[in-house]
Amino acid sequence: MMSAHGPDHHGGDDKGWADSKAFRRGFLAVLILVALIAAALGFIPAFQKEHPHFDVEKIPVFFALYGFVMFALIVLIGQHLRKIVGRDERYYDERE
Amino acid sequence: MTSASSLISVLFANPAVILFVGAALAALFPDSRAGLRRPLMLVFIFFSGSQLYRLGLGEYGALSLFGESLVTLRVDRLARIFATVFHIAAALNIVYAWNERDRAQTFASLAYPAAALGGVLAGDLITLFIWWEIAAITSVFLVWAPGTRATFLSGMRYLAIQILSGVLLLAGIALIWRETGSLAFSEIGLRDPSGAVKLSGLVLLLAFGIKAAFPLLHNWVQDAYPKSTISGTIVLSIFTTKLAVYSLARAFPGTEELIYIGVVMTFFPIFFALIENDLRKVLCYSINNQVGFMVCAIGLGAINGAAGYAFGNIIFEGLLFMALSAVMYRTGTSKATELGGIYKTMPLTMIMCVVGALSISAFPGTLGFVTKGLIIDGAAEQHLFFVWLALLFASAGVLEHAGIKIPYFTFFAHDSGKRPKEAPWHMQAAMAVSAILCIGVGFYPDPLYALMPDPAAMADYHPYSLYHIAEQAQLLLWAVLAFALLVVFKLYPAEVPSTNLDTDWLYRVPGRAILRWAAGVTGVLWDYCWKLYTDRVDVFRSRIYAVHGPEGRLARSWPIGSMALWTAVVLGAVLAIAFFG
Repeated sequence: MMSAHGPDHHGGDDKGWADSKAFRRGFLAVLILVALIAAALGFIPAFQKEHPHFDVEKIPVFFALYGFVMFALIVLIGQHLRKIVGRDERYYDERE
Repeated sequence: MTSASSLISVLFANPAVILFVGAALAALFPDSRAGLRRPLMLVFIFFSGSQLYRLGLGEYGALSLFGESLVTLRVDRLARIFATVFHIAAALNIVYAWNERDRAQTFASLAYPAAALGGVLAGDLITLFIWWEIAAITSVFLVWAPGTRATFLSGMRYLAIQILSGVLLLAGIALIWRETGSLAFSEIGLRDPSGAVKLSGLVLLLAFGIKAAFPLLHNWVQDAYPKSTISGTIVLSIFTTKLAVYSLARAFPGTEELIYIGVVMTFFPIFFALIENDLRKVLCYSINNQVGFMVCAIGLGAINGAAGYAFGNIIFEGLLFMALSAVMYRTGTSKATELGGIYKTMPLTMIMCVVGALSISAFPGTLGFVTKGLIIDGAAEQHLFFVWLALLFASAGVLEHAGIKIPYFTFFAHDSGKRPKEAPWHMQAAMAVSAILCIGVGFYPDPLYALMPDPAAMADYHPYSLYHIAEQAQLLLWAVLAFALLVVFKLYPAEVPSTNLDTDWLYRVPGRAILRWAAGVTGVLWDYCWKLYTDRVDVFRSRIYAVHGPEGRLARSWPIGSMALWTAVVLGAVLAIAFFG
């Protein structure tokens, strides 16, 4: 089906597997599940560091919290950088 | 004195020279036989690699130059791990661009890695300098390869910065020679025993720092690399910055300043990568960020971490560049706003891109996981809490721009409607080998660990200890979860076509204006000075004319008059000769 198209353009409404709602929901569900499992591992002594270097490492879900919060902060705060340094795409073309 | 025959035997024992000769021979093939160039190059890479391992550890290629002894070839454990991965990367790049026919570009794609290899294997600073400059000159052909005005200008900027680094290196070498009387390329350090900063160390650090793209010195990477050709960008992305990492590891291990320089390097590219629309530029910011981890490791004295991560990064960052370039080869664009939905027709490229993305994010089971942990543990072991936190933060940032943004906006996100063919076989082959290395070494890191600069220190390191797995899984999975929720709640910013200003703005806009103004002012001053001079000459001539000309006093008796004049001239000449003679 796909090779019938030229090397470029066309199509658009032929849905692939990743576009289906079922896949997206399934992906999110699996992601939430494994994330919860990873967080739960933090409570099992076998998965804890014997001699932590820092106090925060003693919090069983420290890495989960830190990863979640920092990622969200990077995206939510970082995008405002665009207001400072963002210019038109042809910015340098016009100046060089 | 070194005789010519021993010079030749010294040269051809050097793997870097073997590679360089291979590049030159291949370039001699006429365009009608262009298909033979790359197979020949692979043969030479094989020769060079086997020569590296046939020699074994040791110092070779001793030469004497103006009474100074040079060690043109040193294979120790630190040099060998870099040399090994340079061979792997050079071979993968040759295969990736198998059908490339452009002579200059083909030559550069092996001559430039050869120069970087020569630098890594240099045992003295003069040899390092020579290869350093050859790397600068050969690599600019890759920037110029597309042949447009924009790439020409960018190539000139690139060359100016690379040559500046070379000039600083030469100045540093002169200072070191004056201080120590030695040209050996070994630990130099930034401070003398009393704790004061050494000028020689500072100059050398700056020379290496330019090539490693230290903060504020970083922008030549984003300026030049994405302007190269499809395959040229991949070749460029690997060697220059890693040669600089090697040089820093050699000369400045455990230099505390590097910890903080490295941390800043891991930090700021995250935000520029977030808002960048051109995904090749995103990967260039990723180079800055990744080299930051290595620089930090060098500062921490975790040389295994720096070298191991350089090895890993060359493979997985190369894989990301290859996958993105394959999409660009098929669609003609690398902009996030113009891509998306490509997974439908390029599924294999997508899978290999995801392997690279998982690896750079350091998911357990990948090459990134078994090498990055060495650096983060290095910070923890020295109880540097904020450095450790910063590196974890930067890891979340890597996941954002390299782990998610690259595969998501290229292959998924909104459907661009583009339905390109799958990548050609040679691109797939190079990507497949890289992907196999990412996973293979990820699960079985022992061969890589055996290659580390300090294998004894690796004995206590167990990447797959349970707590390592749990920590990393928490950090990454919850970060991915944050991404998924931001997308679901439509909080993830859409990509917009834009140019984002970075430090190159300083020399491309105000710098350019100042230069133009300075050129104008110089022109006006010159005209003024020239006029002053010509006016004086005119006055002088008219005076002589007034005295000696037909109307002048001396003309009343011309023969005597001219004798008087010539006497004066001869007297002047005699006086001048007597004075200077």
